[in-house]
Amino acid sequence: MYDAKTQPLASLRNIHKAYGNLKVLSGIDLDMSPGERVVVIGPSGGGKSTLLRIMMGLEQITEGSIEFEGQPYITALNGKTRIDANVRKKMGMVFQHYTLFPHLSILNNLMLAAVKTRGMARAEARDKAMQLLARLGLEDKAGAYPSHLSGGQKQRVAIARALMLDPQLMLFDEVTSALDPELVAEVEQVMLELAEQRLPMMIVTHDMWFARNIASRVIFCAGGVVVEDGPPEQVLGDPLNPRTREFIQRVFHIHG
Amino acid sequence: MWRGFEGIMKIDFSFLSKYHEALLMGLGTTLHLTVICFGFALVLGFALALLRGSKIAPVAWAATLYVEFFRGTPVLVQLFWIFYCLPIFLGTELSNFTSAVVCLSLYGGAIMSESFRSGLKSIGREQYDAAHALGLGPWTRTIYVLLPQAVLRAVPVLLSNGVGLFKESALISAVGMAELMFIGSTISNRTARPVEVFTVIALIYFLVAFPLTRLVAVLERRILRRLAI
Repeated sequence: MYDAKTQPLASLRNIHKAYGNLKVLSGIDLDMSPGERVVVIGPSGGGKSTLLRIMMGLEQITEGSIEFEGQPYITALNGKTRIDANVRKKMGMVFQHYTLFPHLSILNNLMLAAVKTRGMARAEARDKAMQLLARLGLEDKAGAYPSHLSGGQKQRVAIARALMLDPQLMLFDEVTSALDPELVAEVEQVMLELAEQRLPMMIVTHDMWFARNIASRVIFCAGGVVVEDGPPEQVLGDPLNPRTREFIQRVFHIHG
Repeated sequence: MWRGFEGIMKIDFSFLSKYHEALLMGLGTTLHLTVICFGFALVLGFALALLRGSKIAPVAWAATLYVEFFRGTPVLVQLFWIFYCLPIFLGTELSNFTSAVVCLSLYGGAIMSESFRSGLKSIGREQYDAAHALGLGPWTRTIYVLLPQAVLRAVPVLLSNGVGLFKESALISAVGMAELMFIGSTISNRTARPVEVFTVIALIYFLVAFPLTRLVAVLERRILRRLAI
């Protein structure tokens, strides 16, 4: 049914989002191809995280629609947001503050959703979880609790937990922003490995060097609209739009 | 002044040794009562905490009214009401033990529902987001994610509530039940030595409660460390 060669993986049409009078998104249009790694950058309050949360079905929208793999996923009708739960299962998300379940061991953090909502047998889920942890260099942490892990380890566990459910699109919402600087690399390394396997991703980050490394496409979002959309060399290196240019200069000036 | 001094001179605890069996029995009854009421109050408290968060407004109001009523009236009044008035409505006598269990359980449930509620409230929005993103339904989310965290966080406070019940149980002596306080009063009346008797009674309550309150402090530290992420 879905043809990855000709159809976009996700297509967002005219997405509007408002909290009361406060407009956060004012008409986002975006087609994402399979295998693409879209990095969303922009000033705080520009709607980047909101866009990701909408993709995950965590936020209602006021207008617009999203299709995923050619199927209707999210639609706004008369102020109500309809979300197809079966399509939603194809998204995986990693948050800024890890959001591991503190009362469960690392292994159980990974297994919970697979066993309780996907009907996977416990033994099978355990094998899969152990494989994932091994891949991320965390197999010796399977029995540990989140409070015993470093921030970088926690974030890698959070990625493994999302991968347990075989997402077709991974959403990363500022996943290194809360980390100590020396722990950022280990998380970014995991994401780069996933990128090599051509796992589609949408990434919100403030780390422009990482953005340049991982992105196949960069979107500059400000004031609730897409200001500029292009390959990383263009948007991060030589942006066409003056607003993007000003933002990039400011960011690189601060970091450089 | 001289008489007062004479009074102090006459303090002597040795006569209490012949009452040690009665005192132990009283303590046994007190502990028995406390444990039973603690169990009932835990279940009732958790149910009330969930009901108070109900989306059906009248259910939430009723639960809130219940909790506020039992928190806002003296336990002794509640006890007398249950002992003297409830039998009229039920059309049957209640033993003083049953009255005591009903009273302390109803009261304890109201107190503990607050502890459970603050445990539930302390779970951040991010945990809901994570559960949602993993596709956990409301049932799985409540049973496997929210409930264990709420209970863990509430454990120290619930234990404190239990120690509270243990102490409140002294009021039960007012309906003539032979628990520790009642035994103490009886010995005091018979021997006319309230100073010695109530000193010992206070010490017994303290010796039971003190290790428990220490335990609460230790558990609190451990649980907070575990749940800190």
